[in-house]
Amino acid sequence: MANVTITDVVKNYGQLEVLHGVSASVTDGEFVVLVGPSGCGKSTLLRMIAGLESISDGDIEIGDRVVNDLEPKERDIAMVFQSYALYPHMTVRANMAFSLKLARRSKQEIEQMVNRAAEILDLSALLDRYPRQLSGGQRQRVAMGRAIVRNPAVFLFDEPLSNLDAKLRVQMRGEIKALHQRLGATMIYVTHDQMEAMTMGDRIVVMRAGVIEQMGTPLEIYDTPANSFVASFIGSPSMNLIDGVVHSANNQLVLQADDGATWPLPSHLNVKAGTAVQLGIRPEHIYLDPAGLPAEAIIIEPTGADTHVQLRVGKQLLTGVFRDRPDISLNATFHVRPDVSRAHVFDRVSGKRIGA
Amino acid sequence: MAVVERTAAQRVVTRTRKSRPERGEGRTAFFFLLPSLIGVTLFLVVPIIASVVLSFTNWKLLGQPQFVGFANYIKLFTADPQFWPVVRNTLFFTFEYLVLNIIISLGLAVWISSLKLGQRWFRVIFFLPTFTPGIAVAIVWMLIFAPGGFFDFVTGSLAIHLPNLLTDQKLAMQAVIIVSLWAGVGYNTVLFNAALDMVPASYLEAARIDGASAWDRFWKIRLPLISPTLFFGTVMTAITSLQVFDQIYVMTRGGPGSATATLGYSIFQKGFQNFQMGYASSIAWVMFAMIMALTAFQFWLQRKWVHYDN
Amino acid sequence: MTTRAKAKADARRTLALDILNHGALALVALLFLFPFFWMVSNAVRSNAEVLAIPVRILPTVFDWDNFAKAWTTLPFGRFFLNSVIVSVSVTVITVLVSCLSGYAFARLKFPGRDKLLMAYLATLMVPGIMLIIPLFLIVNKLGMINTFQGVILPVAFGTFGSFLLRQFFLSIPLELEEAARIDGASRLRILVSIIIPLSMPAIGLLSLFTFIAQWNNFLWPLIVMTGADNATLPVGLTLFQTQQTTAWNYIMAGATLSMIPGVILAVVLQKLIYNSISLNAGMGGR
Repeated sequence: MANVTITDVVKNYGQLEVLHGVSASVTDGEFVVLVGPSGCGKSTLLRMIAGLESISDGDIEIGDRVVNDLEPKERDIAMVFQSYALYPHMTVRANMAFSLKLARRSKQEIEQMVNRAAEILDLSALLDRYPRQLSGGQRQRVAMGRAIVRNPAVFLFDEPLSNLDAKLRVQMRGEIKALHQRLGATMIYVTHDQMEAMTMGDRIVVMRAGVIEQMGTPLEIYDTPANSFVASFIGSPSMNLIDGVVHSANNQLVLQADDGATWPLPSHLNVKAGTAVQLGIRPEHIYLDPAGLPAEAIIIEPTGADTHVQLRVGKQLLTGVFRDRPDISLNATFHVRPDVSRAHVFDRVSGKRIGA
Repeated sequence: MAVVERTAAQRVVTRTRKSRPERGEGRTAFFFLLPSLIGVTLFLVVPIIASVVLSFTNWKLLGQPQFVGFANYIKLFTADPQFWPVVRNTLFFTFEYLVLNIIISLGLAVWISSLKLGQRWFRVIFFLPTFTPGIAVAIVWMLIFAPGGFFDFVTGSLAIHLPNLLTDQKLAMQAVIIVSLWAGVGYNTVLFNAALDMVPASYLEAARIDGASAWDRFWKIRLPLISPTLFFGTVMTAITSLQVFDQIYVMTRGGPGSATATLGYSIFQKGFQNFQMGYASSIAWVMFAMIMALTAFQFWLQRKWVHYDN
Repeated sequence: MTTRAKAKADARRTLALDILNHGALALVALLFLFPFFWMVSNAVRSNAEVLAIPVRILPTVFDWDNFAKAWTTLPFGRFFLNSVIVSVSVTVITVLVSCLSGYAFARLKFPGRDKLLMAYLATLMVPGIMLIIPLFLIVNKLGMINTFQGVILPVAFGTFGSFLLRQFFLSIPLELEEAARIDGASRLRILVSIIIPLSMPAIGLLSLFTFIAQWNNFLWPLIVMTGADNATLPVGLTLFQTQQTTAWNYIMAGATLSMIPGVILAVVLQKLIYNSISLNAGMGGR
């Protein structure tokens, strides 16, 4: 078991710098998810922790050791790859035993450890099959089995579920989580899927363009996104962002939107009039209210449990999510009320959150 | 939990240090390459350089080599009475063999591809000589061409009056070409047949619907589509045929007279019968120049007949 | 004539043409195979009958003992063994050396890698016959004339294998290798346990073509193996051809022996050969 500490880590390929000095720490036994759009550097960071990519600058510690110059095998880690990377010419048993054989464990020990891992993952019946004879979900489990046989201090996952179909993905999500609880090991998990991040992580690290945008528990990040990028990246459908300028009217701050409309702002904002800002409203914080603003429905997407509605208030396009099946018809006018008390405000220049 | 945010502009890369794993990789690469590097240096690079140097000396294996400048080359081009006939023989062989090889192998390839059954067995039959020693092939054919042998028997039975091929100044080269063709058409047959197999059937069906005859479909569709492969086969065949040696060594030893002496045979003769290592090396470089020139010529020519998709 | 009857007649005509087409090519193929037949037919008759005028298509007596005699007395058995030693050794060395260097080119980072690869490719342009003289001098200098090392080593370090295997190694997913590194495998272990087992088609191809090229090689062993005992099959075949009393029947038996491995490989591995050549056909520009 071990903490992972990342300090000022930089990665460059020749002149191109892809990680611009990243610092983060993962405590022992924690499940941390690195999430961000493709090209944000999350996989590169994971591969640097694994030892598959060199560290251009900064330090990575696992346990109490700086591992910068250690080979992957010396780092006490295991990794599950997006493609699973199962050795095609070896049986499931041989795949799982490979690392133990290299570590020169005794035959008996290997047998024991492989069987234990197979039992945990429900693979016992498949041990003598080859990877090509397995389904996607089974291969995924073998990949995890290969990781857990060695009982490493840190597990690294690189988008392990992205090759599975939607239903299996949800199931495996639960299995990985259960595995974490059972083993209590430190796990670092990379994904581009914010839903996976929210449901699996004890903590989430949101990255963009080689920089960490925010770290925190899923709900912290959801409730108080540090900037407009995190706000729009986390949550589905995405947060509505309305561009405008802060105005003072009757001792109250309001948003003068770029399209001319006026929107209320949360109270006690620490912002001066005249500042260019974005007002962020989550789709589920828009309510139906006959006393609210007149709106026109443009697209209606029922998901069964909820209904997603693209609507227009004045000239502003918004997305709303309503429970069940609201009585809304296309191109007809209805009324909505954004819950301003739960809205977010971001500086339009820096993108940073403006708090109370 | 500390979040450090920095932008690319703010940060200047101070050091690009090499980590231990990266340095280890270079060392591993060195050891992995070492056997190959030693072999390539000793048996490829050094010989290439030595060959150039030798060609400017008069070394005869025994005694001290002397630097003679371009004397070998000057002697070759102006004084050696055997040199020009040898060049002529080599070009004659290459030209006739190349043309016949391409025509025959293309014909066989097209013929095989027209079959509904047993394509692969026909391919194997024509390919067999490719995998057998050229020397054994030449010896068998020598028996066929021997005076009073099978070939003479057939021409005699058909009342064709031919002198014996191997002992006739004019016909000996034809015998060498027949043997070379028998041994050499198989590879190109399979090559062209494979290329024909890769022509999408939809092209031919479309042409058929457009009303193209079988003749047109061959000349206007299949042939242009496999022309890159034809070009490849022609270049490779030309390169090997300029080096022809085995058949000539067995069947004629360059004779009768010097009717079948080629550059390859000359290198052997000068180098390992007369031990004129320097002189033989200069012949080798003339051969290399001819190979390069012929290849360059073919690349120049290809613009006129080779059709590339893109 | 009704359309159906016409269609029937057409089908019959097509079938007839098809049979004719197959039959004609089969005839050509039979004629093509004649030298093989002639070789075997002359291998199993007496020498007098080989030289008889007019020629006889088939021997009066099939003397299969000629093979045994050629094997022991001439001695083609010895030549056969020499050929096996040379061809197998060159193949093994070529494959080992090419695996190591091909892997370095495909997967290891080192300064000057691409330039070195280009240099390797450039050596493929140099025709073998050009290097015969300096190679002979080097082998002579190393004191390896008339030895197996002398025949084997100079032809065992061709650059083609490095290039071929590099290309194939590149097609193996990188993640397999990374997984093995995390599992604790060294580079050599990765090569031996992961890359080589997954590259058997390419290694098989390289082995096949290297073996055949060496089995059929003539000029180089002719120059290096000056002693009759050390001759490979092709060289051995020419040794007796030059003697006054040429035993043609035994030579034909020897020629038959020399062709057996190639013929077997060509037939058994026809699919592999066809696939590799069609790869060439595809590379011809498409």
